[in-house]
Amino acid sequence: MENFFKKVTKDVDLSFAILLSFCVYVFFSLNIEIFFSHNISFAILERFAVLGLVGLALTICIIAGEIDLSIGSNAALCAVIVVKLTDPLGAPFAMLIGLSVSTLIGAIQGFVIAFIRIRAIVITVGTLMLLRGVALLIAEEKTVMLTDFRVPDFITTKVLMYFSPASLTVIFIFICVGIFMRYTKYGREIYAIGGARKEALTAGIPLRRPMVIAFALSGFCAGFAGTVIGLKSGTAQGLGLQYLLLAGTVAAFVGGVSILGGKGGVLGAAIGALTVNFLNTGLVFYALQVHFVQLFTSVLLVIVIVFQTMSRVFDSRQSRKSLLATIDERKTTLLEKKRTVLGK
Amino acid sequence: MTTIIQDNKSPFSSKFLQFYKDRTLLAILLSLFAVMFVYGIFFTENYLTITNFKAIIRDAALYGIMAIGLTFVTLSGNFFLLSLKETASICGVTFAMGMATGFGSPDLVGNFLVSLLAALSVGVLSGVIQGYFVGMGGNPIVVTLGGAGILYGIGAWWSDNLVINFKRPHDAEWLGTGSFLGLPSITLAFILIAIAAELVLRHTNFGRKVYLVGANKAAGRATGHENFSMAIIVFTICSVCCAFVAVAFVAQMDSAQSNYFSAEFGSSGDMTILVIATVMVGGNSIMGGYGSTLRTSLGAIFIAMVDNMMVLQGFNSGPRIVGVGLMIVFSIIVFGLFAKGSRAQE
Repeated sequence: MENFFKKVTKDVDLSFAILLSFCVYVFFSLNIEIFFSHNISFAILERFAVLGLVGLALTICIIAGEIDLSIGSNAALCAVIVVKLTDPLGAPFAMLIGLSVSTLIGAIQGFVIAFIRIRAIVITVGTLMLLRGVALLIAEEKTVMLTDFRVPDFITTKVLMYFSPASLTVIFIFICVGIFMRYTKYGREIYAIGGARKEALTAGIPLRRPMVIAFALSGFCAGFAGTVIGLKSGTAQGLGLQYLLLAGTVAAFVGGVSILGGKGGVLGAAIGALTVNFLNTGLVFYALQVHFVQLFTSVLLVIVIVFQTMSRVFDSRQSRKSLLATIDERKTTLLEKKRTVLGK
Repeated sequence: MTTIIQDNKSPFSSKFLQFYKDRTLLAILLSLFAVMFVYGIFFTENYLTITNFKAIIRDAALYGIMAIGLTFVTLSGNFFLLSLKETASICGVTFAMGMATGFGSPDLVGNFLVSLLAALSVGVLSGVIQGYFVGMGGNPIVVTLGGAGILYGIGAWWSDNLVINFKRPHDAEWLGTGSFLGLPSITLAFILIAIAAELVLRHTNFGRKVYLVGANKAAGRATGHENFSMAIIVFTICSVCCAFVAVAFVAQMDSAQSNYFSAEFGSSGDMTILVIATVMVGGNSIMGGYGSTLRTSLGAIFIAMVDNMMVLQGFNSGPRIVGVGLMIVFSIIVFGLFAKGSRAQE
């Protein structure tokens, strides 16, 4: 029991994320009869294939201490490229091209950020617009469509009751990225430059390499999310997918990343994405309009931010209190020493 | 003093030359851009006419006013708001509701003052709430991203996502489509607000505080200027600017909908990003403490000029967004390289 308590207090945000996702799931399971069923679980995992990736992309960036606003545009660009090239070249080759474009864009962004040393929000606001324009240009301001629907059929077939090829691939990506972030030198570097950048740079970690890797990974994840959306629906638009930024940010923050960087992980991203998916899937049953989904997702984000800020303020107060207490302790011992010396 | 002058005889030109020697690529890009711009000015039909120039400033006025409000936020070191268009849309819906239904009381239908006050107070309210969260220590980007969703949701919920119409002879026409002294009133408002904002920033106590808090938060706190009250004030200023733009736009269109500022607005496809782009193209430091509203106004006019040129050359929305996007990325990189090595960076 004590062990359990220790684990909970060690990572408060992750515990809060698990609690929150559990609450949301139980709430909908109690209110909607069919929510706790095989089919709904399959649907949730299908949504997870998209949202989880976007959440993962943002999680990696935020761990590195930056935020990537161009995720929606990057995903839209990749979706347009893949959908457009699937007919002439076949799906695997189209995916290869689209994903390498997305990854390259991410890597260039990371390089520029590390080279000029500006904040990522500054440059990604610019690329948000630029990539959207490029996507529109490639799509010729129209909706790009597939003519051959064998690919969409393939990636949404049911495998093992709950999974589809898309969601299986996404889970595989999650595991790979998780291992990379946790156990390799390059992954730890990303944590280092996020959590304590000055200290990390002084200790000899180059800024450029982890930044490029983090943004390339996030570009890859965003591109893959775009690919899944594009291939699943068979259509893609240059101006679409901007809602991904909000959903991904909510997923990342529910998953326990800190805006200060260096905190959080892949597990948290998965849990955060699942929470948002529970909410979205649950709201479908109430037949609400789109703006309500946005409203409730934002409310979720605000709840999480308030919780995080409050816990941060609480922590700093607590540490200040303990600091004052130790000072007091030292003072009293010094006073006693003085007294004994003077008494002699 | 004398030694310095002996060391480099004309400090400005040698520094300038040194800069370009170090960054040949940048210099080539800059001059290429300048050549393209001049070429565009002279070889676009109907570009160099007074009517067209008026149209350019009128275009610039709408997002210029919002950008001037955002400049206060940026200068005070709170980055920017991602909820600009949502704030504008909810204020626009409020204004149209007042004009069309009078908020339920028949006496108030079409009452311009009441509707304006309602819209402005909604703006103040949203600014104060978001500023409060940011001042408490929340990240401005994340807080306003959440705020955007909530404001849009409330606006769409209230208006049922429908278009709210009000009939043409109404009290707000002078603001939407009227003109004084040959200038549209929104252009006049833009000029007046730009001058007022510049005066406030340069010559009042508050304006200097904005620069102080933006340039150095720790120094600001040490001298008793907390970011808490500053965040609330600048966010309110920005939201009120959004509300004013929304009122002018709705008065021009005689209708409002919660999607008016989303989807495809103007050249950018997104009002929020366009406004942020305006602040950046003007060359304000996004970390705060450096810049002015004059730069922002010029940035707005510059973006409008380039966009207008591309429209007259017959480009579609795709290339136009690419053009504006390239301009932003380019100006960010240029200003970033200028600032590299100086204190302005982190």
